[in-house]
Amino acid sequence: MLPRLLLLFMCIWLISGPHPHAQTGVIARLPPTTRAEIVARAEKLANHTWVCGAANLRASCSKRYLSDWRSGQHVTGLPYRWGGIDGPDEFDRKLEGGLAAGAHSRYGVLKCAAGVDCSGFVSLCWGLPASEHAYGTSSLREIAGKPKYNWYADMKPGDVLNKPGSHVVLFTGYNPDGTIGVCEASSSQARVVCRKSTWSRFKGYIPLQYKGIDD
Amino acid sequence: MIRPIRVFLLLLLCGPLMSDAPSGRRELEQKVCTIPLSKTLRIPVGTLGAQDTPESLAATPASLMISPGAADEPPDGPRGFDVLDDGSLLITDPLRSRVSYFDSHGEFRKAWKIGFPADSLTVIANGVVLVREASTGKFHTFDREGRARPTQGSALPEQAEARVLTGRSGTVRRPAIGSAPGGLLAVQFDRPGLTLLSLEVLGIDQKGDTYVALETTANGVAETVNLNKYVRRYSSDGSLLCEIADIPLDYYVPPVDELRVHKGMVYQLLTTSSEVRINVWDTNQLCSHLSH
Repeated sequence: MLPRLLLLFMCIWLISGPHPHAQTGVIARLPPTTRAEIVARAEKLANHTWVCGAANLRASCSKRYLSDWRSGQHVTGLPYRWGGIDGPDEFDRKLEGGLAAGAHSRYGVLKCAAGVDCSGFVSLCWGLPASEHAYGTSSLREIAGKPKYNWYADMKPGDVLNKPGSHVVLFTGYNPDGTIGVCEASSSQARVVCRKSTWSRFKGYIPLQYKGIDD
Repeated sequence: MIRPIRVFLLLLLCGPLMSDAPSGRRELEQKVCTIPLSKTLRIPVGTLGAQDTPESLAATPASLMISPGAADEPPDGPRGFDVLDDGSLLITDPLRSRVSYFDSHGEFRKAWKIGFPADSLTVIANGVVLVREASTGKFHTFDREGRARPTQGSALPEQAEARVLTGRSGTVRRPAIGSAPGGLLAVQFDRPGLTLLSLEVLGIDQKGDTYVALETTANGVAETVNLNKYVRRYSSDGSLLCEIADIPLDYYVPPVDELRVHKGMVYQLLTTSSEVRINVWDTNQLCSHLSH
Protein backbone atom coordinates (compact mmCIF):
# COMPACT_ATOMS: atom_id res chain seq x y z
CA MET A 1 0.00 0.00 0.00
CA LEU A 2 2.73 2.50 1.01
CA PRO A 3 4.86 2.13 -2.14
CA ARG A 4 1.73 2.59 -4.27
CA LEU A 5 0.88 5.80 -2.45
CA LEU A 6 4.43 7.00 -2.82
CA LEU A 7 4.27 6.28 -6.55
CA LEU A 8 0.98 8.14 -6.81
CA PHE A 9 2.38 11.21 -5.07
CA MET A 10 5.42 11.15 -7.32
CA CYS A 11 3.22 10.98 -10.40
CA ILE A 12 1.14 13.92 -9.19
CA TRP A 13 4.32 15.88 -8.46
CA LEU A 14 5.69 15.13 -11.92
CA ILE A 15 2.56 16.11 -13.83
CA SER A 16 1.64 19.13 -11.70
CA GLY A 17 3.07 21.84 -13.92
CA PRO A 18 6.54 23.07 -14.68
CA HIS A 19 9.49 21.97 -12.66
CA PRO A 20 9.66 24.19 -9.61
CA HIS A 21 13.34 24.91 -10.15
CA ALA A 22 12.77 26.17 -13.71
CA GLN A 23 11.86 29.67 -12.58
CA THR A 24 13.45 29.68 -9.17
CA GLY A 25 16.61 31.35 -10.44
CA VAL A 26 14.78 34.25 -12.08
CA ILE A 27 12.36 34.71 -9.19
CA ALA A 28 15.10 34.49 -6.58
CA ARG A 29 17.02 37.26 -8.30
CA LEU A 30 14.01 39.63 -8.40
CA PRO A 31 14.53 42.60 -6.09
CA PRO A 32 11.93 42.47 -3.32
CA THR A 33 9.81 45.56 -2.93
CA THR A 34 6.74 46.71 -1.05
CA ARG A 35 3.55 48.04 -2.61
CA ALA A 36 4.12 51.44 -1.02
CA GLU A 37 7.55 51.63 -2.67
CA ILE A 38 6.05 50.71 -6.05
CA VAL A 39 3.43 53.44 -5.90
CA ALA A 40 5.98 55.97 -4.63
CA ARG A 41 8.24 55.22 -7.62
CA ALA A 42 5.28 55.61 -9.99
CA GLU A 43 4.38 58.98 -8.50
CA LYS A 44 8.00 60.11 -8.70
CA LEU A 45 8.07 59.32 -12.43
CA ALA A 46 4.70 61.01 -13.00
CA ASN A 47 5.67 64.11 -11.02
CA HIS A 48 9.18 64.49 -12.42
CA THR A 49 9.49 67.99 -13.85
CA TRP A 50 11.82 68.98 -16.67
CA VAL A 51 12.26 71.70 -19.27
CA CYS A 52 12.59 70.86 -22.94
CA GLY A 53 15.58 72.62 -24.46
CA ALA A 54 15.98 73.38 -28.16
CA ALA A 55 18.49 70.53 -28.47
CA ASN A 56 15.97 68.05 -27.03
CA LEU A 57 13.55 68.66 -29.92
CA ARG A 58 15.84 66.86 -32.37
CA ALA A 59 17.01 63.26 -32.56
CA SER A 60 20.45 63.03 -34.09
CA CYS A 61 19.89 59.42 -35.15
CA SER A 62 16.56 60.00 -36.95
CA LYS A 63 15.86 62.44 -39.77
CA ARG A 64 12.11 61.86 -39.59
CA TYR A 65 11.80 62.51 -35.87
CA LEU A 66 9.15 65.00 -34.74
CA SER A 67 9.06 66.05 -31.10
CA ASP A 68 5.97 66.08 -28.88
CA TRP A 69 7.31 69.22 -27.16
CA ARG A 70 8.10 72.88 -27.66
CA SER A 71 11.35 74.60 -26.84
CA GLY A 72 11.33 75.95 -23.31
CA GLN A 73 8.24 73.95 -22.38
CA HIS A 74 7.93 72.97 -18.72
CA VAL A 75 6.68 69.41 -18.48
CA THR A 76 5.52 67.24 -15.59
CA GLY A 77 6.02 63.51 -16.16
CA LEU A 78 8.89 61.59 -17.72
CA PRO A 79 8.43 61.54 -21.51
CA TYR A 80 7.34 58.43 -23.40
CA ARG A 81 10.13 56.75 -25.34
CA TRP A 82 9.37 53.49 -27.10
CA GLY A 83 11.91 50.90 -25.88
CA GLY A 84 13.09 53.22 -23.10
CA ILE A 85 13.71 52.51 -19.43
CA ASP A 86 15.33 55.70 -18.12
CA GLY A 87 14.74 56.60 -14.50
CA PRO A 88 14.55 60.29 -13.48
CA ASP A 89 18.28 60.72 -12.86
CA GLU A 90 19.32 58.96 -16.06
CA PHE A 91 16.73 60.93 -18.01
CA ASP A 92 18.01 64.25 -16.64
CA ARG A 93 21.58 63.28 -17.59
CA LYS A 94 20.51 62.42 -21.13
CA LEU A 95 18.47 65.58 -21.44
CA GLU A 96 21.48 67.59 -20.33
CA GLY A 97 23.53 65.74 -22.93
CA GLY A 98 21.22 66.97 -25.70
CA LEU A 99 19.30 63.76 -26.41
CA ALA A 100 15.76 63.97 -27.76
CA ALA A 101 12.97 64.06 -25.14
CA GLY A 102 10.84 61.00 -25.87
CA ALA A 103 10.04 59.13 -29.10
CA HIS A 104 7.32 56.93 -30.60
CA SER A 105 7.54 53.54 -32.26
CA ARG A 106 7.09 55.00 -35.74
CA TYR A 107 10.70 56.26 -35.49
CA GLY A 108 12.05 52.92 -34.21
CA VAL A 109 13.94 52.43 -30.95
CA LEU A 110 16.03 55.61 -30.79
CA LYS A 111 19.27 55.44 -28.83
CA CYS A 112 19.53 59.20 -29.23
CA ALA A 113 16.31 59.80 -27.22
CA ALA A 114 15.51 59.60 -23.52
CA GLY A 115 12.42 58.45 -21.67
CA VAL A 116 10.46 55.38 -20.72
CA ASP A 117 7.83 53.14 -22.34
CA CYS A 118 4.94 51.29 -20.68
CA SER A 119 6.78 48.12 -19.72
CA GLY A 120 9.93 50.06 -18.84
CA PHE A 121 7.80 52.17 -16.52
CA VAL A 122 6.35 49.11 -14.77
CA SER A 123 9.84 47.59 -14.49
CA LEU A 124 11.14 50.76 -12.84
CA CYS A 125 8.16 50.85 -10.48
CA TRP A 126 8.81 47.26 -9.45
CA GLY A 127 12.42 48.21 -8.70
CA LEU A 128 13.99 46.21 -11.53
CA PRO A 129 17.40 47.46 -12.69
CA ALA A 130 17.22 50.21 -15.30
CA SER A 131 20.39 48.96 -16.95
CA GLU A 132 18.46 46.73 -19.34
CA HIS A 133 14.90 46.64 -20.68
CA ALA A 134 14.53 42.95 -19.91
CA TYR A 135 10.74 42.60 -19.91
CA GLY A 136 8.08 43.72 -22.36
CA THR A 137 4.33 43.22 -22.16
CA SER A 138 4.73 39.78 -23.76
CA SER A 139 7.28 38.57 -21.20
CA LEU A 140 6.07 40.18 -17.96
CA ARG A 141 4.41 36.86 -17.10
CA GLU A 142 7.89 35.47 -16.39
CA ILE A 143 8.16 37.68 -13.32
CA ALA A 144 4.48 38.31 -12.53
CA GLY A 145 1.67 35.85 -11.86
CA LYS A 146 -2.02 35.99 -12.65
CA PRO A 147 -3.78 36.47 -9.32
CA LYS A 148 -6.62 34.16 -8.38
CA TYR A 149 -8.63 36.73 -6.49
CA ASN A 150 -11.54 38.81 -7.77
CA TRP A 151 -9.86 41.37 -10.03
CA TYR A 152 -12.70 43.84 -9.73
CA ALA A 153 -12.53 44.08 -5.96
CA ASP A 154 -9.27 42.68 -4.63
CA MET A 155 -6.45 44.05 -6.78
CA LYS A 156 -3.81 45.79 -4.72
CA PRO A 157 -1.72 48.87 -5.51
CA GLY A 158 1.39 47.75 -7.38
CA ASP A 159 -0.40 45.07 -9.42
CA VAL A 160 -0.66 45.73 -13.16
CA LEU A 161 -3.18 45.37 -15.96
CA ASN A 162 -1.35 43.92 -18.95
CA LYS A 163 -2.29 43.29 -22.57
CA PRO A 164 0.53 41.24 -24.07
CA GLY A 165 1.97 42.88 -27.17
CA SER A 166 0.13 46.12 -26.55
CA HIS A 167 0.22 47.97 -23.23
CA VAL A 168 0.56 47.70 -19.49
CA VAL A 169 -0.53 50.04 -16.68
CA LEU A 170 0.09 50.07 -12.93
CA PHE A 171 -2.97 49.75 -10.71
CA THR A 172 -3.03 52.20 -7.78
CA GLY A 173 -6.50 51.73 -6.27
CA TYR A 174 -10.29 51.62 -6.57
CA ASN A 175 -12.37 54.78 -6.48
CA PRO A 176 -15.75 55.10 -4.68
CA ASP A 177 -17.55 55.22 -8.05
CA GLY A 178 -15.99 51.87 -9.02
CA THR A 179 -13.49 53.27 -11.51
CA ILE A 180 -9.80 52.62 -10.94
CA GLY A 181 -6.65 54.66 -10.50
CA VAL A 182 -3.76 53.83 -12.81
CA CYS A 183 -0.31 55.17 -13.58
CA GLU A 184 1.27 54.54 -16.95
CA ALA A 185 3.78 55.65 -19.55
CA SER A 186 1.21 56.83 -22.06
CA SER A 187 2.21 57.21 -25.69
CA SER A 188 -0.93 59.25 -26.49
CA GLN A 189 -0.18 61.66 -23.63
CA ALA A 190 3.55 61.50 -24.43
CA ARG A 191 4.59 61.04 -20.79
CA VAL A 192 4.06 59.23 -17.50
CA VAL A 193 0.67 60.09 -16.01
CA CYS A 194 -1.53 58.96 -13.13
CA ARG A 195 -5.26 59.17 -13.63
CA LYS A 196 -8.70 57.76 -13.05
CA SER A 197 -10.02 55.30 -15.63
CA THR A 198 -13.17 53.36 -16.38
CA TRP A 199 -12.93 49.59 -16.77
CA SER A 200 -13.98 49.59 -20.43
CA ARG A 201 -10.54 50.83 -21.39
CA PHE A 202 -9.08 47.59 -20.05
CA LYS A 203 -11.30 45.03 -21.71
CA GLY A 204 -9.03 42.15 -22.73
CA TYR A 205 -6.30 43.04 -20.22
CA ILE A 206 -4.94 40.55 -17.67
CA PRO A 207 -4.13 41.50 -14.06
CA LEU A 208 -0.65 40.47 -12.93
CA GLN A 209 1.08 40.52 -9.58
CA TYR A 210 4.86 41.02 -9.32
CA LYS A 211 6.52 37.89 -7.93
CA GLY A 212 9.04 39.91 -5.94
CA ILE A 213 6.34 41.65 -3.92
CA ASP A 214 7.04 41.90 -0.20
CA ASP A 215 3.54 41.93 1.30
CA MET B 1 -24.75 5.34 4.65
CA ILE B 2 -26.91 8.02 3.08
CA ARG B 3 -29.07 6.73 0.31
CA PRO B 4 -28.71 8.46 -3.05
CA ILE B 5 -32.42 9.31 -3.09
CA ARG B 6 -31.97 11.26 0.16
CA VAL B 7 -29.03 13.20 -1.28
CA PHE B 8 -31.13 13.98 -4.33
CA LEU B 9 -34.03 15.21 -2.19
CA LEU B 10 -31.68 17.24 -0.01
CA LEU B 11 -30.22 19.00 -3.04
CA LEU B 12 -33.67 19.52 -4.48
CA LEU B 13 -34.92 21.11 -1.29
CA CYS B 14 -31.85 23.11 -0.27
CA GLY B 15 -30.70 24.13 -3.74
CA PRO B 16 -32.93 27.19 -4.01
CA LEU B 17 -31.94 28.25 -0.49
CA MET B 18 -28.21 28.05 -1.24
CA SER B 19 -28.42 29.64 -4.67
CA ASP B 20 -28.62 33.35 -5.37
CA ALA B 21 -32.28 33.36 -4.30
CA PRO B 22 -33.60 34.43 -7.72
CA SER B 23 -37.21 34.02 -6.66
CA GLY B 24 -36.81 36.69 -4.01
CA ARG B 25 -34.97 39.03 -6.29
CA ARG B 26 -37.40 38.70 -9.13
CA GLU B 27 -39.73 40.99 -7.27
CA LEU B 28 -37.13 43.71 -7.36
CA GLU B 29 -36.55 43.44 -11.07
CA GLN B 30 -38.58 45.59 -13.29
CA LYS B 31 -39.18 45.69 -16.96
CA VAL B 32 -36.84 48.13 -18.61
CA CYS B 33 -37.42 49.96 -21.85
CA THR B 34 -34.41 49.02 -23.98
CA ILE B 35 -33.30 51.49 -26.63
CA PRO B 36 -31.78 49.98 -29.79
CA LEU B 37 -28.97 51.61 -31.77
CA SER B 38 -30.55 54.38 -33.86
CA LYS B 39 -27.76 55.07 -36.34
CA THR B 40 -24.04 54.93 -36.91
CA LEU B 41 -22.07 57.73 -38.53
CA ARG B 42 -18.94 56.44 -40.26
CA ILE B 43 -15.91 58.64 -40.76
CA PRO B 44 -12.95 57.44 -42.84
CA VAL B 45 -9.49 57.19 -41.30
CA GLY B 46 -6.00 57.36 -42.75
CA THR B 47 -3.10 55.46 -41.24
CA LEU B 48 -0.03 57.35 -40.21
CA GLY B 49 2.98 55.86 -42.01
CA ALA B 50 6.63 56.01 -41.09
CA GLN B 51 7.34 58.33 -44.04
CA ASP B 52 4.47 60.74 -43.46
CA THR B 53 5.24 64.43 -43.16
CA PRO B 54 2.94 67.27 -42.05
CA GLU B 55 2.47 68.11 -45.77
CA SER B 56 1.44 64.59 -46.78
CA LEU B 57 -1.00 64.44 -43.87
CA ALA B 58 -2.69 67.63 -45.05
CA ALA B 59 -3.58 65.96 -48.37
CA THR B 60 -6.59 64.09 -46.91
CA PRO B 61 -8.39 66.65 -44.76
CA ALA B 62 -11.74 64.83 -44.59
CA SER B 63 -10.38 61.78 -42.83
CA LEU B 64 -9.14 61.32 -39.29
CA MET B 65 -5.68 59.94 -38.65
CA ILE B 66 -4.75 56.82 -36.69
CA SER B 67 -1.39 55.33 -35.82
CA PRO B 68 -1.19 51.52 -35.61
CA GLY B 69 1.50 51.67 -32.92
CA ALA B 70 3.70 48.64 -32.39
CA ALA B 71 4.47 45.99 -29.78
CA ASP B 72 4.26 47.81 -26.44
CA GLU B 73 2.85 50.98 -27.99
CA PRO B 74 -0.94 50.81 -28.43
CA PRO B 75 -2.67 52.44 -31.43
CA ASP B 76 -3.36 56.14 -31.24
CA GLY B 77 -5.93 58.40 -32.87
CA PRO B 78 -9.18 60.22 -32.09
CA ARG B 79 -10.03 59.89 -28.39
CA GLY B 80 -12.13 62.96 -27.72
CA PHE B 81 -15.38 64.33 -29.09
CA ASP B 82 -18.50 66.27 -28.26
CA VAL B 83 -21.77 67.34 -29.85
CA LEU B 84 -22.77 70.91 -30.70
CA ASP B 85 -26.30 72.29 -30.34
CA ASP B 86 -27.31 71.44 -33.93
CA GLY B 87 -26.05 67.85 -33.60
CA SER B 88 -22.81 68.48 -35.46
CA LEU B 89 -19.68 66.87 -34.07
CA LEU B 90 -16.24 67.96 -33.03
CA ILE B 91 -13.65 65.17 -32.97
CA THR B 92 -10.01 65.44 -31.91
CA ASP B 93 -7.43 64.49 -34.54
CA PRO B 94 -4.28 64.47 -32.37
CA LEU B 95 -1.86 63.07 -34.94
CA ARG B 96 -2.51 66.15 -37.05
CA SER B 97 -2.80 68.58 -34.11
CA ARG B 98 -6.30 69.59 -35.11
CA VAL B 99 -9.99 69.28 -34.29
CA SER B 100 -12.28 68.15 -37.12
CA TYR B 101 -15.81 69.42 -37.54
CA PHE B 102 -18.50 67.11 -38.99
CA ASP B 103 -22.17 67.86 -39.58
CA SER B 104 -24.92 65.80 -37.98
CA HIS B 105 -24.74 63.31 -40.89
CA GLY B 106 -21.03 62.74 -40.39
CA GLU B 107 -19.94 64.81 -43.40
CA PHE B 108 -16.64 66.64 -42.97
CA ARG B 109 -17.05 70.43 -42.91
CA LYS B 110 -13.78 71.91 -41.71
CA ALA B 111 -10.81 71.47 -39.41
CA TRP B 112 -9.47 73.71 -36.69
CA LYS B 113 -5.69 73.88 -36.73
CA ILE B 114 -5.16 74.11 -32.99
CA GLY B 115 -1.42 73.44 -33.05
CA PHE B 116 -1.26 70.69 -30.41
CA PRO B 117 -2.45 67.09 -30.04
CA ALA B 118 -5.74 67.02 -28.12
CA ASP B 119 -7.24 63.99 -26.39
CA SER B 120 -10.49 65.42 -25.03
CA LEU B 121 -12.92 68.23 -25.74
CA THR B 122 -16.06 69.49 -24.08
CA VAL B 123 -18.70 71.87 -25.38
CA ILE B 124 -19.76 74.12 -22.49
CA ALA B 125 -22.30 76.96 -22.36
CA ASN B 126 -22.70 79.37 -25.30
CA GLY B 127 -20.89 77.13 -27.76
CA VAL B 128 -17.55 77.55 -25.98
CA VAL B 129 -15.31 74.54 -26.49
CA LEU B 130 -12.68 73.42 -24.00
CA VAL B 131 -9.94 71.37 -25.68
CA ARG B 132 -7.45 69.42 -23.58
CA GLU B 133 -3.83 69.27 -24.72
CA ALA B 134 -2.81 65.60 -24.53
CA SER B 135 0.81 66.12 -23.54
CA THR B 136 0.18 68.59 -20.72
CA GLY B 137 -3.43 68.12 -19.60
CA LYS B 138 -3.94 71.88 -20.02
CA PHE B 139 -7.27 73.17 -21.34
CA HIS B 140 -7.50 75.64 -24.22
CA THR B 141 -10.65 77.59 -25.05
CA PHE B 142 -12.14 78.02 -28.54
CA ASP B 143 -15.38 79.43 -29.88
CA ARG B 144 -17.53 77.31 -32.18
CA GLU B 145 -15.72 78.73 -35.20
CA GLY B 146 -12.44 77.39 -33.88
CA ARG B 147 -11.01 80.73 -32.82
CA ALA B 148 -8.85 80.69 -29.69
CA ARG B 149 -10.38 82.54 -26.76
CA PRO B 150 -9.06 83.47 -23.32
CA THR B 151 -9.35 80.47 -21.03
CA GLN B 152 -10.06 82.59 -17.96
CA GLY B 153 -13.55 81.96 -16.64
CA SER B 154 -14.10 78.79 -18.69
CA ALA B 155 -14.37 75.64 -16.65
CA LEU B 156 -15.62 72.10 -17.09
CA PRO B 157 -19.07 71.54 -15.62
CA GLU B 158 -18.94 69.96 -12.20
CA GLN B 159 -19.60 66.23 -12.34
CA ALA B 160 -22.26 64.68 -10.14
CA GLU B 161 -20.77 62.36 -7.54
CA ALA B 162 -21.43 58.65 -8.03
CA ARG B 163 -20.82 55.85 -5.58
CA VAL B 164 -21.01 52.07 -5.92
CA LEU B 165 -22.41 50.60 -2.70
CA THR B 166 -22.69 46.90 -3.52
CA GLY B 167 -22.50 44.69 -6.59
CA ARG B 168 -26.13 45.57 -7.23
CA SER B 169 -26.56 49.13 -6.14
CA GLY B 170 -25.14 52.60 -6.07
CA THR B 171 -26.07 56.23 -5.72
CA VAL B 172 -25.68 59.45 -7.67
CA ARG B 173 -25.75 62.82 -5.90
CA ARG B 174 -27.49 65.20 -8.29
CA PRO B 175 -27.24 68.97 -8.09
CA ALA B 176 -30.43 71.03 -8.44
CA ILE B 177 -30.91 71.98 -12.09
CA GLY B 178 -33.74 74.22 -13.37
CA SER B 179 -36.95 73.11 -11.71
CA ALA B 180 -35.50 69.73 -10.72
CA PRO B 181 -34.63 69.67 -7.01
CA GLY B 182 -31.64 67.33 -7.22
CA GLY B 183 -30.77 64.97 -4.37
CA LEU B 184 -29.73 61.37 -4.13
CA LEU B 185 -30.59 59.02 -7.01
CA ALA B 186 -30.64 55.31 -6.17
CA VAL B 187 -29.29 53.03 -8.90
CA GLN B 188 -30.37 49.42 -8.63
CA PHE B 189 -28.84 46.77 -10.89
CA ASP B 190 -30.45 43.39 -10.28
CA ARG B 191 -29.39 41.03 -13.02
CA PRO B 192 -28.66 37.41 -12.18
CA GLY B 193 -25.02 36.55 -12.74
CA LEU B 194 -23.90 40.16 -13.21
CA THR B 195 -22.10 42.49 -10.82
CA LEU B 196 -22.11 46.26 -10.94
CA LEU B 197 -18.55 47.60 -11.23
CA SER B 198 -18.78 51.33 -11.74
CA LEU B 199 -21.09 54.29 -12.18
CA GLU B 200 -20.43 57.43 -14.19
CA VAL B 201 -22.77 60.37 -14.60
CA LEU B 202 -22.82 61.40 -18.27
CA GLY B 203 -25.10 64.38 -17.87
CA ILE B 204 -28.22 65.90 -16.37
CA ASP B 205 -30.61 67.75 -18.69
CA GLN B 206 -32.79 70.78 -17.97
CA LYS B 207 -35.72 68.57 -16.92
CA GLY B 208 -33.49 66.94 -14.35
CA ASP B 209 -33.28 63.63 -16.24
CA THR B 210 -30.00 61.97 -15.38
CA TYR B 211 -27.91 59.80 -17.73
CA VAL B 212 -25.76 57.24 -16.00
CA ALA B 213 -23.23 54.78 -17.46
CA LEU B 214 -22.97 51.46 -15.66
CA GLU B 215 -20.12 49.00 -16.07
CA THR B 216 -20.89 45.42 -15.13
CA THR B 217 -19.15 42.09 -15.28
CA ALA B 218 -20.28 38.49 -15.30
CA ASN B 219 -19.66 36.60 -12.09
CA GLY B 220 -17.14 33.80 -12.20
CA VAL B 221 -13.70 33.24 -13.65
CA ALA B 222 -12.66 34.84 -16.93
CA GLU B 223 -9.39 34.74 -18.85
CA THR B 224 -9.20 38.50 -19.23
CA VAL B 225 -11.00 41.60 -17.99
CA ASN B 226 -14.45 41.38 -19.52
CA LEU B 227 -17.39 43.67 -19.03
CA ASN B 228 -20.54 45.21 -20.39
CA LYS B 229 -21.59 48.81 -20.43
CA TYR B 230 -25.10 50.20 -20.06
CA VAL B 231 -26.44 53.72 -20.22
CA ARG B 232 -29.58 54.49 -18.27
CA ARG B 233 -31.85 57.51 -18.29
CA TYR B 234 -33.54 58.33 -15.01
CA SER B 235 -36.28 60.91 -14.58
CA SER B 236 -35.93 63.71 -12.05
CA ASP B 237 -38.07 61.71 -9.58
CA GLY B 238 -35.59 58.83 -9.78
CA SER B 239 -37.57 56.38 -11.89
CA LEU B 240 -35.78 54.44 -14.58
CA LEU B 241 -37.02 55.57 -18.01
CA CYS B 242 -34.94 53.49 -20.39
CA GLU B 243 -31.67 51.67 -20.91
CA ILE B 244 -29.12 51.12 -23.66
CA ALA B 245 -27.60 47.66 -23.43
CA ASP B 246 -25.86 47.07 -26.76
CA ILE B 247 -22.80 49.30 -26.39
CA PRO B 248 -19.83 47.76 -28.22
CA LEU B 249 -16.52 47.97 -26.38
CA ASP B 250 -14.11 46.67 -29.01
CA TYR B 251 -12.06 49.86 -29.12
CA TYR B 252 -8.98 50.02 -31.34
CA VAL B 253 -8.14 53.37 -29.77
CA PRO B 254 -9.72 53.58 -26.28
CA PRO B 255 -11.52 56.93 -26.03
CA VAL B 256 -11.18 59.54 -23.32
CA ASP B 257 -14.61 60.91 -24.19
CA GLU B 258 -16.36 57.58 -24.56
CA LEU B 259 -20.00 58.67 -24.31
CA ARG B 260 -21.77 62.00 -24.70
CA VAL B 261 -25.38 62.98 -24.19
CA HIS B 262 -27.16 65.74 -26.08
CA LYS B 263 -30.93 66.40 -26.17
CA GLY B 264 -31.74 62.85 -25.14
CA MET B 265 -29.40 61.33 -27.71
CA VAL B 266 -26.50 59.20 -26.48
CA TYR B 267 -23.37 59.25 -28.65
CA GLN B 268 -20.42 56.87 -28.52
CA LEU B 269 -16.97 57.42 -30.05
CA LEU B 270 -15.70 54.11 -31.37
CA THR B 271 -12.40 54.25 -33.23
CA THR B 272 -11.67 51.03 -35.11
CA SER B 273 -8.70 50.21 -37.33
CA SER B 274 -10.68 51.10 -40.46
CA GLU B 275 -13.00 53.96 -39.49
CA VAL B 276 -14.26 56.16 -36.71
CA ARG B 277 -17.83 55.28 -35.77
CA ILE B 278 -20.20 57.54 -33.91
CA ASN B 279 -22.94 55.28 -32.57
CA VAL B 280 -26.16 57.10 -31.69
CA TRP B 281 -29.07 55.96 -29.51
CA ASP B 282 -32.22 58.08 -29.28
CA THR B 283 -33.65 57.82 -25.77
CA ASN B 284 -36.51 60.19 -26.71
CA GLN B 285 -38.18 57.56 -28.88
CA LEU B 286 -41.19 55.64 -27.68
CA CYS B 287 -40.26 52.38 -26.12
CA SER B 288 -40.70 49.42 -28.44
CA HIS B 289 -38.81 46.79 -26.50
CA LEU B 290 -39.22 45.87 -22.86
CA SER B 291 -36.80 43.52 -21.20
CA HIS B 292 -35.76 42.40 -17.74
